[in-house]
Amino acid sequence: MNILFIHDAFPAQFGRLALELVRRRGWTCRFLVQSLSSCPTPTPEMLETLEIRQIPLAAEHRSSAGVPWPQIHGHFLEQCQTVVDAVRSSQSPRPDLVVAHGGRGAPALFLREALDCPVVVYCEYYFATHRRDISYRIDLPPAEPASFFPRCINAPTLAALVDCDAGYSATAWQRETFPLRFQHKIKVYFDGIDTALYSPGRSSRRIGGVTIPDDVRVVTFVSRGLESIRGFDLFMKVAQRIATARSDVVFVVAGGEEIHYGWDKLHTGQPSFKQWVLDQDTYDPSRFFFLGRILPEQLADVFRMSDLHIYLTAPFVLSWSMLNAMASGCVVLASDVGPVLEVIEPGVNGLVEPLFDTDRLVKTALQVLDDPGSYAPLAAAARCAVVDRYSLETCIPPLGDFLERVAGGAR
Amino acid sequence: MAQDPLHVLWIEPGFPGRLGGVADWLTRLRGYRSWFYCHTTGPRSHWPGSVGRGLEVQTFGVGGAARDPAVAWTRTLERGLCYAYGCWEVLDKRRPRPIDLIVGRSAGLGSSLFAPVYWPAAPVVSYLDYYFAPHQHDLADEAGPDTPPSYYSWRRSMGAIDLLDLEQASLGWTSTAWQRGLYPAEYQPDIEVFHDGIDTSLFMESSWRARGTGPRVIGGRAIAPGTRVVSFVARTLDRLRGFDRFFALACKLLAARPDVICVAAGDPIVRRGLDVLFHNRDYFAHLKATQPAVDLDRLWMLGSVAPATVAEVLAASDLHVAPGRSYPVARSLLEAMASGCVVLASDTPPHRDLLTPGRDSLLVDGRDQDALYEAAVKVLADRATYRPLGEAAAAVVNEHYSRAVRMPKLAERFTRLVEAHEARR
Repeated sequence: MNILFIHDAFPAQFGRLALELVRRRGWTCRFLVQSLSSCPTPTPEMLETLEIRQIPLAAEHRSSAGVPWPQIHGHFLEQCQTVVDAVRSSQSPRPDLVVAHGGRGAPALFLREALDCPVVVYCEYYFATHRRDISYRIDLPPAEPASFFPRCINAPTLAALVDCDAGYSATAWQRETFPLRFQHKIKVYFDGIDTALYSPGRSSRRIGGVTIPDDVRVVTFVSRGLESIRGFDLFMKVAQRIATARSDVVFVVAGGEEIHYGWDKLHTGQPSFKQWVLDQDTYDPSRFFFLGRILPEQLADVFRMSDLHIYLTAPFVLSWSMLNAMASGCVVLASDVGPVLEVIEPGVNGLVEPLFDTDRLVKTALQVLDDPGSYAPLAAAARCAVVDRYSLETCIPPLGDFLERVAGGAR
Repeated sequence: MAQDPLHVLWIEPGFPGRLGGVADWLTRLRGYRSWFYCHTTGPRSHWPGSVGRGLEVQTFGVGGAARDPAVAWTRTLERGLCYAYGCWEVLDKRRPRPIDLIVGRSAGLGSSLFAPVYWPAAPVVSYLDYYFAPHQHDLADEAGPDTPPSYYSWRRSMGAIDLLDLEQASLGWTSTAWQRGLYPAEYQPDIEVFHDGIDTSLFMESSWRARGTGPRVIGGRAIAPGTRVVSFVARTLDRLRGFDRFFALACKLLAARPDVICVAAGDPIVRRGLDVLFHNRDYFAHLKATQPAVDLDRLWMLGSVAPATVAEVLAASDLHVAPGRSYPVARSLLEAMASGCVVLASDTPPHRDLLTPGRDSLLVDGRDQDALYEAAVKVLADRATYRPLGEAAAAVVNEHYSRAVRMPKLAERFTRLVEAHEARR
């Protein structure tokens, strides 16, 4: 089968999937993308195996200042036009199936004008006007666009849902964010965690040039961007109190300073939410290691040295890093929100506490750090849960079958 | 079922627009208190009677792309958001309250999308006009091979504001089953078909029509006895409403029959962006320049006129021609029917939705100029034979499409919606 993947970035959600489909099924996978991502970066094997065509971004799309929210849809349509023009001019064989991100991440709206094959959309998320995602952190100073943005940002998503033959979400919680009227079109297929890379084992216990002694406890926090939607500020509050309670703990934080979601720059009036958070208190720099963005292999090593992984997301798309941590055999302490509870069974394969309840988060974290042995079964169960339900081995076959069914005219 | 008075916030780009007449009826006859938020207002002569007496009209400004005389097709939603934001700004400043119900009509320009930011407690009704099919209906049916690909991209993108409105709305509302059928299947169960009716106190069978004789006057000009009047009415004289077809028909009729005058009411400047070719152009001037000379003394071009003048046109009409493309039925068609006109319309799905050919109207292929002409000539030659069609048309409207019939049902629906919303809170 010949699949055309469309996404604004590569590899994003599709790179690894495509690689697996080439390896396991011998399918041809081509990509139309706008940029190569820096988190995660494409692997050499992906670049060698997959046919990737980059469509240049218009100048305004490259602006670091971003696009004003009322103009986002217009820029999306311009990119849609660029994509369909690229498809028309392509010399490649016609695909049997198009797989596109179903939001503004994939400008695929006009593809029907050039292709007559089925279209599958990846239904990552549907933004809510309240009590989820970027509308959740009402504890932060209000941001003017927050009331308006969620009421218009779903326009590309809705158009994709109307237009597609079928869709899939990675988790049931993500699927349920979509309007009920479309859920019949959306199946749930997780796309797989690399449980060979993310596995328990010995760690280097080195961060940069520093070796972390064996008797020092390591608390980890990972997020693509250190931002409010992933609870970076709340983590730092918890970490500060843990640091005060125990002198033998260091904190390893992986993630860039970019803001990917929400209004942190407007909430704080500063370009870096991380810096704004650090300015709120006095942190002992010898206890905190900020790694910035790191490669998957480095991340796997970080998880192996973790005594406790803290994941404090708002109700939003689950971070693959939480599953990576579980696959690595970490004890995970997470916020008790819907997407987390789909994976973590509290007290069985992880721990949860209310997102804003610093007291309980600190108390539970200290219990784990005080007596790691008692929590080792949770770590083992976490690893099992990911291997059983979320590994590449488990997830790729049914997802491949689904794509094949849609390509064949069934869903 | 109770029809309690409600506080309603109406939002539409222009007033009175489509919702103004509805708001007026409910304000006058059901005691509603209405705030009508709009960007522009039509001439005061077009305003309904309840303005200032329970119906308050409030204009809002727009910024950004909405200030540009035209925007690239990719910026259509952005322009709509500017309208929605402009409306919200004035709502937030004027703070009308309480509000039991919000009724919005985007009309392609944004509307009530941000009203719940100001007043989240009320259910929202979205009036829906038209969902674009990429290659079907309106003028797309005639798009030739030279049509640029971006034309179809534009059409595929035009549903964005309607989809957002529908997601926000407690109820989608449209006028005909054909219009509802244009929307994606996933949304159709949430869209109710409810024609808002026309004002049959203004549009009714004239004494001239009833007696077959007597004076006829249009805009102060008397019609000579024995004259046959062929009418065409549209908000703007454009291809969508088939003005080109009417003009061609008028040319032939005027050449063939000295006893005919043709009367067209409507703005000659094409206002619908849907007609990409002639948008903001004088379409009548274009037709005059491209077709054989016509006897302009007998082609009365009235321009945009008040409803009372439209009523005069229809009251005097021997034949009303509605040769439009496949597009939501013009209110003027129902007004013509209410006036007892013999209606000659194009045979399109939206017309079939309302008309029964041979019983209350005549339908012919609108693209077939000969068929239009032959049908018109027959009607003009034998008024008596076709008179029952006009009588049946008036009866259909009086029975099914008059405000007096439709509005109480709409009031009931609004009351039910508000009660259900309050019960859930």
